[in-house]
Amino acid sequence: MIQVENIRKEFELTKKQQKENNTSDKVALAVEDVSFECQPGRIFSLLGPNGAGKTTTLRMLAGILKPSQGSIKINGIDIQKNPNEAKKDIGFLTGSTGLYERLTANEIIEYFSKLYGVSKEDFKQRKENLYTLLGMHDFQDKRIGRLSTGMKQKVSIARTMIHDPDVVIFDEPTSGLDVITAENIIKLISDCKTQGKTVIFSSHIMSEVDLLCDDLAIIHKGKIILRNTMQEFRNNMQTTSLTAEFIRVINENN
Amino acid sequence: MIFTIFKKELKDTLRDRRTIIAMIVVPVLVFPILLGLTTTVTKYFAEKQQEEVLKIAVISTATDNQFTQRLSAIPEEFGPKTLIFREDTLGLKEEISIDSIQIAFIIPANFDQQQDSNQQSTIQVFHKGVNIGNKDRVRTYLAEIESSFLAERFERLNLDKQLIEPIDEQYNDISSEKEMIGKLAGGFLPYLFIIFGFIGCMYPAIDLFTGEKERKTLETLLTTPVPRWKILIGKMLVIVLSGIAAASFALIGMFVGLRAFDLVDSPELLTVIDGILTPMFILSLLILLIPLTIFFAGIMIPATIYAKSFKEAQSVLTPVNFIIMMPALVGLLPGIELDYITAFIPIVNIVLATKELVAGTIDPILMIISFMTMVGFAALSVVFSYKRFGKESNIIS
Repeated sequence: MIQVENIRKEFELTKKQQKENNTSDKVALAVEDVSFECQPGRIFSLLGPNGAGKTTTLRMLAGILKPSQGSIKINGIDIQKNPNEAKKDIGFLTGSTGLYERLTANEIIEYFSKLYGVSKEDFKQRKENLYTLLGMHDFQDKRIGRLSTGMKQKVSIARTMIHDPDVVIFDEPTSGLDVITAENIIKLISDCKTQGKTVIFSSHIMSEVDLLCDDLAIIHKGKIILRNTMQEFRNNMQTTSLTAEFIRVINENN
Repeated sequence: MIFTIFKKELKDTLRDRRTIIAMIVVPVLVFPILLGLTTTVTKYFAEKQQEEVLKIAVISTATDNQFTQRLSAIPEEFGPKTLIFREDTLGLKEEISIDSIQIAFIIPANFDQQQDSNQQSTIQVFHKGVNIGNKDRVRTYLAEIESSFLAERFERLNLDKQLIEPIDEQYNDISSEKEMIGKLAGGFLPYLFIIFGFIGCMYPAIDLFTGEKERKTLETLLTTPVPRWKILIGKMLVIVLSGIAAASFALIGMFVGLRAFDLVDSPELLTVIDGILTPMFILSLLILLIPLTIFFAGIMIPATIYAKSFKEAQSVLTPVNFIIMMPALVGLLPGIELDYITAFIPIVNIVLATKELVAGTIDPILMIISFMTMVGFAALSVVFSYKRFGKESNIIS
């Protein structure tokens, strides 16, 4: 479960950035007073145009960035007060995640399992399950640099799931991927739901949202402008398609 | 956990061709190649010079003078030569300039009379100054001839040689050869360490910090439940190890080079050099090198965290390299010694302490002060790195 309460994120601006942005403000506000809750066994979708604050919000949830204000709880653990405990329950995957090119798939999976403190028995069993599920046995000993984009994405998935996290955060997980590779991600998100995990993902591809999402929030200029269940959102639509409705909501709040 | 990170980063680093080149290949090969090239080239030219048959023209109206006789009698070991006799200087300069003749002696007609009456004779020597070495050969010939005339004169006049040599100087050097090497060449060793220690640290530092940002792996690493300081220390250990390895490989390369190219021809000197390389010396050197490389890593990490690309990191670190080189050069200057002031100056103290170590004249208290000072600066640099590594603007791209 993820509980987000009134989080706010400010970034300090350097003099160069102030000049570039043509502002005298010393800070830039990326996220303002954002609150939501993601329930186990449900998929929460965070939607928004580029620069709306999606990635910043998800980075705060994953413990990469610290909120300037507000609180984030992962399975009841405050990530600011107890970051390393909270992070044990989180799996984080982005579309632009890189992997260590000079290591093999096996080496990467083992490295991350050690970083998450996974026991040897659990590691062996989970690795076998994931490799079978994703069809990774053939290239497990190949260096990442020699793998195709699709293969790399499979390694990223295995890396994200090796510690069997309760909460999974996906930041635009399919961006830049071809449809076949993206399909692996869609399946993963769907499987996470079946397994009762808490899932949050950001996207601006409405077909994915339509397919997967149970709850959604639309973020624009750092603020949540709509929060609802997917069912309610569909029911209240004033336009004919999800994309058109998304654009309408954004424009209404411009 | 630090060991897990260290192990992974080391494996990753050892698979990077750039790092291997900077850490092992260049340090090991640079000295043998440099020494090999220098000795081969010098030897080649020296031998060529030695073997070259000099065509010497002797110009005199009296061909059978004493000078010519003695010149002909000079043995082959002073360099081979052929003598050409002429009575005039016609076309001489032209022949020397096109190298068909290398040297010409113009002997006065009354040379024998002058010598027999203990007078001074003037001999004109024509040569081409650009042919370095020819003049030296002429000087050797003339010195031989002159000393034979001088010996005859002393005998003829019944004089003692002491008459013209009132002082017989005898130098007694009480410094050991080890000390001599330490003071003269010892400054070179720390200079070498600093260059290779720095380069050895540089590539892994860029790869493990800027590289992680560039390849977008840092974000994933920071989502793991591992405290940032452990990640930093794990990575830093690899950088430090790489710096020490590069410096050690350079040392190995240098000694292998010295042996392989027979640069040290005196067996006594070789024994002295071998005597310097005791386990105690190597251990002391490593002890001094550890805080130095930690300091290097500590000042490099903030720069590599800040940089967004490999290229940017390299351009930020290049001027740092020059700044570090300056105190290293101090070790090459004569007269600057390790004392209670210089022992507190970072880098300079390590350079001077290494010099004293080579000479075997180190004061243990000054060594401890130098070491502790460097440890202090290394610790400060680590804290600085930690602060920069924790800064959000540095870690997200």
